[in-house]
Amino acid sequence: MITATFLVSELRFDWFENLVGSYLASTNEFRPQTGVIWEAGKHTTNAHEYLNKIINKKEDTQHNVHKASSFLNLISDILPGEWVTLEKNHFQTLYLTLEKSMADKIIEPAQLVWLLKGSMLDRIFCEGIPGGIKIYFIDSENRVIKQIDFEKQFILEIESAQQAVTGEFSEIEEFSGRIYTAENFFDAVFKLPPDILPDLIVNPEILLAQAGKIINIGIWNVSQNGYIKLGFEFEEQGAKKIVFIKGREWAVWQLSLYLQGGEN
Amino acid sequence: MNCLLKVLKFFRFFLFFGLILVSLAGLVGMFLVFYAAKDLPQLPTPLSRIIERPQTQIYASNGQVLTTIGTRKTIPLNMVSQDFINAIIATEDHRFFEHHGINKLRTLKALYITLFQSGRVQGASTITQQLAKNLFFSFKQTYKRKFKELLVALQIEASNTKEEILHAYINQIYFGAGAQGIEKASRQFFGKSALKLKLPEAALLAGLPKSPTNYNPYRHLDRAIKRRDIVLRRMAQVGFISDLEYQQARLVKPELYREKTDSRTGSYFLDALISQLIEKYGEDVVFHGGIKVFSTIDTKLQSYARKSLTKGLEKLDTMMGIRNENSEHPQGAIVAIDAGSGAVKVLIGGRDYYKSEFNRAINSFRQPGSGFKPFLYYSAFKNLGYYPGTVMTDQPVIIPVKGAPDWEPQNFGKAFTGNMILKKALYKSVNTIAAQIVEKVGPAAVNNTARICGIKSPLKDVYSVALGTSDVTPFELASAYTVFANLGVLHEPFLFWRVEDAFGRIIFEHIVQEKRVLDPAIAYQVVDMMKSVIQHGSGRSIRKLGFNRPAAGKTGTTDHYKDAWFTGFTPTLCTSVWTGFDRKKTLVDVNSVGITGGRSAAPIWADFMIQALKSDPERDFPIPDNIRFEKADTRTGCITDREETAFEDSENIEVLQVPLKPEQHLCMKEEQDGP
Repeated sequence: MITATFLVSELRFDWFENLVGSYLASTNEFRPQTGVIWEAGKHTTNAHEYLNKIINKKEDTQHNVHKASSFLNLISDILPGEWVTLEKNHFQTLYLTLEKSMADKIIEPAQLVWLLKGSMLDRIFCEGIPGGIKIYFIDSENRVIKQIDFEKQFILEIESAQQAVTGEFSEIEEFSGRIYTAENFFDAVFKLPPDILPDLIVNPEILLAQAGKIINIGIWNVSQNGYIKLGFEFEEQGAKKIVFIKGREWAVWQLSLYLQGGEN
Repeated sequence: MNCLLKVLKFFRFFLFFGLILVSLAGLVGMFLVFYAAKDLPQLPTPLSRIIERPQTQIYASNGQVLTTIGTRKTIPLNMVSQDFINAIIATEDHRFFEHHGINKLRTLKALYITLFQSGRVQGASTITQQLAKNLFFSFKQTYKRKFKELLVALQIEASNTKEEILHAYINQIYFGAGAQGIEKASRQFFGKSALKLKLPEAALLAGLPKSPTNYNPYRHLDRAIKRRDIVLRRMAQVGFISDLEYQQARLVKPELYREKTDSRTGSYFLDALISQLIEKYGEDVVFHGGIKVFSTIDTKLQSYARKSLTKGLEKLDTMMGIRNENSEHPQGAIVAIDAGSGAVKVLIGGRDYYKSEFNRAINSFRQPGSGFKPFLYYSAFKNLGYYPGTVMTDQPVIIPVKGAPDWEPQNFGKAFTGNMILKKALYKSVNTIAAQIVEKVGPAAVNNTARICGIKSPLKDVYSVALGTSDVTPFELASAYTVFANLGVLHEPFLFWRVEDAFGRIIFEHIVQEKRVLDPAIAYQVVDMMKSVIQHGSGRSIRKLGFNRPAAGKTGTTDHYKDAWFTGFTPTLCTSVWTGFDRKKTLVDVNSVGITGGRSAAPIWADFMIQALKSDPERDFPIPDNIRFEKADTRTGCITDREETAFEDSENIEVLQVPLKPEQHLCMKEEQDGP
C-alpha cells in the first residue's frame, strides 16, 4: 500500500522527477562539457582561434608595412605567404625616396604616373614570396593591371648603390659642422631610448653589407619627406667611401641633442 | 480477536514489505542516479546559448545567400507562427505543458510494447527528451544512453521554463534539406519567415522532423502532404484547431519555394567549394567559424544550365528509348567559366544531386576524344611550323609503337577523303591526319600544351593522346579552353572571390592574374579553326539551334560512344558539356546508331549559351595584328579568288578563309609535299 501510495503520489505530483532534476541541477557545474553540442562549441573556439591568428598576423604585417620607409623594409616585413594592401601614397613615397636612375629600374616613371593617376587602379596589393615580394596594381574587379616582382637582393643592390659614394666628408659641404667620430656617434646612439633606434638607423642591412670600418658619421643639413640623410664614412685598406642611409627626422633630432654635448 | 490479530500481522507484514521494497527501489534509484550523474554532460545557461553560433554563409556572385552551413541563429518564440508551435506540440508531445520531462504513462506503454511485442519498437520521447538527445547524445540506441537522456531531460525541466525549452527545441530541430531550426526551414521550404507560416505550411513543417529524408517535400511531396494531414488531424484531436479549419487546411496544396530548388542545383558547386575551403582552412573554420564566402557562381546562369542539362538529358533519354522507370539513365555535367577572369560561373556535376551526389564536373575522369585536338594542332603549329592552310592527306595510317601493336587509327566515318588543309581536318575531325601530326610532333609536346593550358590530370605520353585517350574532367577541359578564348592568356579557374571572418575582416582575396602561355597568333589560328567546327563541322547543330554569335569549340566522342562532349566558347564565356553513363556504357539511339557529342552535348551547350548570353553584346574574337586572311582551296591549300563555301561546289571545290602569320603563305612548295 505504501509502495502504491508512493507510486500514485509520484504519478500525481512528480516529486521524484523534481527531486532528481534539482539534484542534477545542483551538480551541473561540476560535470564535464561533453556531448554533441559542446563538441560543436569546441570546434567553434578552434575556428575562432585559427581565424584570429590569421587576422592578427595580417594586422601586424599591415602595421609594419605602414611604417616601412623603404622597399627593403617592405620586403623584410612581408613574409612568404603573407599579403597586405599598400596605400597608393605610400608606394609613391617609397618610390620617390629612390634616386631617379634607380627608381627607373623598378618601374618607368611614365608608367607609374599612368598607374597612379591615369589607370583604373583601385589598390596596391603586396604578397610575400621567398626572397622578395610581388606588388600587384589591381583594379576594382581585382584584376591585375601591373605586376612588379621585387627581389630582396635586387632592392638591396639598388639601395646600396645609390647610397655609396667614393670620397670623404670634407668633400661634401652639406655635412659641414655635423661630422662625428664613430665612437662619439655610437656613444650618443646608445644613450637614446632603445625604441628610437629602429627609426634612427632604418636600413642597417645596407651598413652591414659594406666592407671596412666606420670611422666618421655625418648628419645632412636638410630633411626630406620626414627623413634626414646620415653618411657613414667607411675605410678599407686606405680607401674611403661614404654610405648614405636615412633616419627618421625626429629620431635624428633626438640624437643631435646628445651629440651637441660631444666633440665634433 | 485472533482473526483481527492475523489481519493486523498480515497488514504489518505487507507494510514492512512495502517499506522495504520502496526503500530498496529508492536505494537502487539513487544509486543509478548518482552513478549516471557523474558523467552526464553539463547543461549551458541559458540553454539556447550553445545553440546560437555564427553561421558560415556562402554568397553567389550577385550577393544572394546560396547557403548557410554550420550552426544556427535562434529566433524567439514570438517570432514563430503560433500554428507551427501548436502543430509541433500536438504531433510530438501534446502533454508538454503538463509533464516534468517524462510522460510516464506513455513511457510505460512504450516499454511494454518494446519488451513484450517482438518486432515492435515504440518511442515515447517528450519534447524535453528529444532536446536532451539532440543536444548531447549520439543517435546510438542503448538503454544506458536512454537513461542518461532521461536524467538530462529532468534537469532541463528543473532548470528551465517550458518556454525556454520549447524555444531551444524549435531552434535546433532538423527538418531536412540542410535546414536546422524553424526559421531556416521556413525560409528553405516556403521562402518566408517562421512568423508568416500559415496553418497548412506550419503543419507540413511540423511533420518533417519525424523523418526528414522520407518526407522531404522537394522529393516526396505526396508523402509530405500525407504526413501533414496526420499533423492536422492530431491538431484537431488535441483541440488546437476546429474540424472546419482541419478540413480547409487539408485542401490547400502548399507551394514550395522554387528559387530554393534552383539554388539546390548549386549543390554540386557548393560541394566543390566547401571541399576547397576545407582544404585551405580546415573543417572547424568552414563548419563552425562563421565565415562569409563570396563565391563566383552566377545563380541565373546556373539555373539556365540546370534547365538546359535536364532538357538535353531528357531528349537523350527519348533518343535512346530510355523511360522514366528505367533504373539507369545517362548522366551529364556542365561547367561554364568566365574567360576574362577564370571565375567559375556554373558547375553542375550530374542529372540530379539528390539521386547522385557524385560530382562528374570535377571528379569524373573521362576521355575527351577529339576534344583534345586543339592542343594537338597548337603544338604542331608551334613546333613544326604548320598552319591552318597546311595540306595533309587523309589516308590509312599505321604507326609503329615500341613494345606494342601498331596503332591504326580510324576515322569516325571509316572512310578516307584524300588531301585537305588542316582547318578542314579539324572541323571534319579527321583522325588519320591527327595521328600523322602526333607522330611528327610527339605526344609529349601535345601534353605539354595541355599542361600549360591548365590540364592537371595525368596524361600518357602515347600517340593516341592526340585523339583524346587520356582522362580529363569537364572542369579541366572548360578551364583549358578558356586559354584559347583569351588567345593564349591563362587565368587560373577559381570558385570564390573573397573570404571574410564573422566580423567582416578579409582573410582571403582572389587576385585575377594573367599569364600568357600560348602564342596569340597561333592561338587565334586554332580558334579560327574551332570556329569552323561550329560553322561547318561536327558542332554545326549549334547554329541550327539558333546560336548565332561568334563562337568556337570542339566536339568529342570516344570509342564506342561512351562519352559525348562539346566544349566551346565565345570571347567571354567558355562552357564544357559532357554526357555519358557512369558505367561507361554505349550511347546509342533507338536505331542502334551511336550518339556523338554533336547530337547530345552540343544541343545542351547551345541551349545554355543562348540563355546565358542573351543580354550581353555580341563580340567577335580580336584578330592579332600579325594575322591576315586568305582564301584557300581546301584540297590544294592554294590561294583562290572564289567565295568561301565550306562545302564542295559544282566543280568539287571547297573554299575556306585561312588566318596566316606574316611568314606563312598559301600553296608554298613545302606545303605541296607536306611540311
